[in-house]
Amino acid sequence: MTTLDPGRPDLTLQPEASASGPVRTRWFAGKNRQAVQSEGWFAAALVSPALLVILLIVFLPLVYSIWLSFAEVDLLRPGGTAITIFGMRLPLYRFTGLANYSKVLSDPLYWQALLRTVYFVALFVIEAVVIGLAMALVLNAHFAGRRLMRAMLLVPWSMSRIAVGILWLGMLDADFGAINGILYRLGLIDHYLSFFSDGFTALNVLIVVYVWNQAPFATILFLAGLQSIPQDLYHAASVDGAGFWRKLWHITLPSLRPMMFLVLVLATVNGFLMLDLIYVMTSGGPGNDTTTVTWLGYRTAFSFFKFGPGTAILFTLTLICVALTVIYHRLVLSKFQSE
Amino acid sequence: METLSRTGSINRRQLMAGAGAASVATLSGAGRFGAAQAAAPINFVGWTFRPDMVQGYVDFYNKSYGEKVSYSTLPWPQYHQTLEQRAFAGDIVDVMYCFHTFRERWAQTGMIRTLDDLPGVDELKKAMMPANLESLLNREGKLIALPYFVNLYILMHNEPMLQQGGFDKPAASFDELIEQCVKLKKDKIAEYPYLPNWNPTITGTTPQFLTDCFAEGATVFDAKNRLVIDQDPAVAQVLERWKKVYALGLVTPEIFTKPSSTDVHRMMFTGRYAYHSNISNYLQTIASDTKESLLAPKKAKMTPYPGKVGSTYMWTDSYVLNANTTSLESAWKLMQFVGGNLHKNWYVQQQWAIGSGLDNVYPDLYKEPAVVASYANWVDLPTLRAQYDKGKVSGAFKEQWYPEYDARSVTILHDMIRKNLSVAETIKALVALHKSLA
Repeated sequence: MTTLDPGRPDLTLQPEASASGPVRTRWFAGKNRQAVQSEGWFAAALVSPALLVILLIVFLPLVYSIWLSFAEVDLLRPGGTAITIFGMRLPLYRFTGLANYSKVLSDPLYWQALLRTVYFVALFVIEAVVIGLAMALVLNAHFAGRRLMRAMLLVPWSMSRIAVGILWLGMLDADFGAINGILYRLGLIDHYLSFFSDGFTALNVLIVVYVWNQAPFATILFLAGLQSIPQDLYHAASVDGAGFWRKLWHITLPSLRPMMFLVLVLATVNGFLMLDLIYVMTSGGPGNDTTTVTWLGYRTAFSFFKFGPGTAILFTLTLICVALTVIYHRLVLSKFQSE
Repeated sequence: METLSRTGSINRRQLMAGAGAASVATLSGAGRFGAAQAAAPINFVGWTFRPDMVQGYVDFYNKSYGEKVSYSTLPWPQYHQTLEQRAFAGDIVDVMYCFHTFRERWAQTGMIRTLDDLPGVDELKKAMMPANLESLLNREGKLIALPYFVNLYILMHNEPMLQQGGFDKPAASFDELIEQCVKLKKDKIAEYPYLPNWNPTITGTTPQFLTDCFAEGATVFDAKNRLVIDQDPAVAQVLERWKKVYALGLVTPEIFTKPSSTDVHRMMFTGRYAYHSNISNYLQTIASDTKESLLAPKKAKMTPYPGKVGSTYMWTDSYVLNANTTSLESAWKLMQFVGGNLHKNWYVQQQWAIGSGLDNVYPDLYKEPAVVASYANWVDLPTLRAQYDKGKVSGAFKEQWYPEYDARSVTILHDMIRKNLSVAETIKALVALHKSLA
């Protein structure tokens, strides 16, 4: 046992034998318990500024927004009870219990938007996982230009979604769009196509654009997972005569299960929360045909200044995301963990 | 720090003391920043439109009047929300642009002040067109803004396309317009000859609806800003016409998702549309020497708006004065410079009229030779002024419910055009929407 600094207590982990069970570990203080306690306080003091910042910029707004979802927020009358933090006055408004939630849940527009959101998320998650995995499998193989391909893969993902929206809006435009121009010059169409004329088509266009933007991230995660699979397994399978599909089914997919869980959770949450592309490309139209729950919540809160119902709408999404994460965990990881 | 530099190490007590000092410095620095703002120069914030031009006349103002105005911009989509949140957090922006639908709201929240008690206001009021002055007043009849520019809906046409179709003059009525468009489509001269501004934003479908109703002499809102479209058969006729032109395939389905009126007017650049209605200043970009437009120079022209009376909707966007400004005198002086006539000859208004074709509420502006010469490059000024004289304002935007009504009514109108919602059902739905919000 060597100590790194003769003047400091020894904090290395020491195994502790137990007569009744497996070997356990505990913090071993080389000098005395008081010194360890003092170090603990010191560590707490060091992290406290960061914790304070997190409290201020994450926890407090979160709690406040939850409160708003249970309150009657009227920005035109911000008087009444308020809390003041660093000179900023946060009105508390009148508590109305579940009134905002009940109003939101009784609005047919909400349920239509939810149905649309579920369709959007389902298709997006499936496409992102399938395309992401396919690209990862390709990029995991050895071929010339693989590094360049991997680097290029990051381009769509690294772009701001507002930029992605504007880019695709330009490409799909019925008057100026490059896609129409190319198809027309190739003689494949005799008049320019309108990609946003029909609501269902517009919704699917949004999904495609979002997959284009997000699938590379799934690819990167899957690629990391693929590289951690021991090659011995594949060699052994080859010896046993397994082909590509068998290896995929019996080795690759089971080994990727933790990564699959991560991709599913991230894609689902990202899908539910997607707002930027709708904002830039369709504004929820034509009619309400591309209005998802996020867009509805955003519009209610920030266009109509109805922060109570707006936050209530958005917190229903939070609940859905949490529920889906639990379901994914049970479906994808439970077996893995028991193994 | 001395210990650190001398010995190269630092003990815990010193580190804690340093961290504490840094925290205090950070917090007190934030406090000082807040306090420093009060003594800072006049803050002037606008949405991002020709910031180069604005910075130019702000620099000129600072130099000419020895003031210290600091100009900055915010992107249009979140402009008002951002300023409202900043005001909410105690930030003071002395002079701001304000879109007409937010003025009353900002006045009610106490964010902006009335201007009636300030020197020189009465002369400015006298110089304005009465209708525009009316829209700059709050619900209590007090002036709360000075004009930035007037948005006036007009109809423009593509002259070469009409000639190609065998029409020697533009349509004088909507029936004629539809007839011409049907022929242009039939002859395969244009796939979608008619381009009404049906984009979903606040400057699109609703102003277009008000325009078409006003053109027929219909009443949309009564004097108390109640929606009365179910009491005027002319409104139903307008909506029937909207359904008809779409059903005939005269309007592109892309219009329903265009993100702004600016995007819609750019569609005219292609020369693929025969008629287009939009805000007047867009004709300048389409018909003056814009490289991107196939209808420049002057191939797109303005035509008097059809309809029984031919009136169109107009509204005034504005400059407003922060109620909590700590430099009222300087802020008001800037207001007069940008929204009044402090420098004489309508210095700022002239720049906007010449540079971007923005109309204004001061009729005297149109006597300025430079303005007249500039307009001649892209529009027949007498025709534009005649349309302006017929312009109608609405006070409904002053109501708290208006932005939500506007946004939600757009989806109802679009569903009527695109789907099978009848005109009667549409009117019923709009009235019900209004009742639920008002």
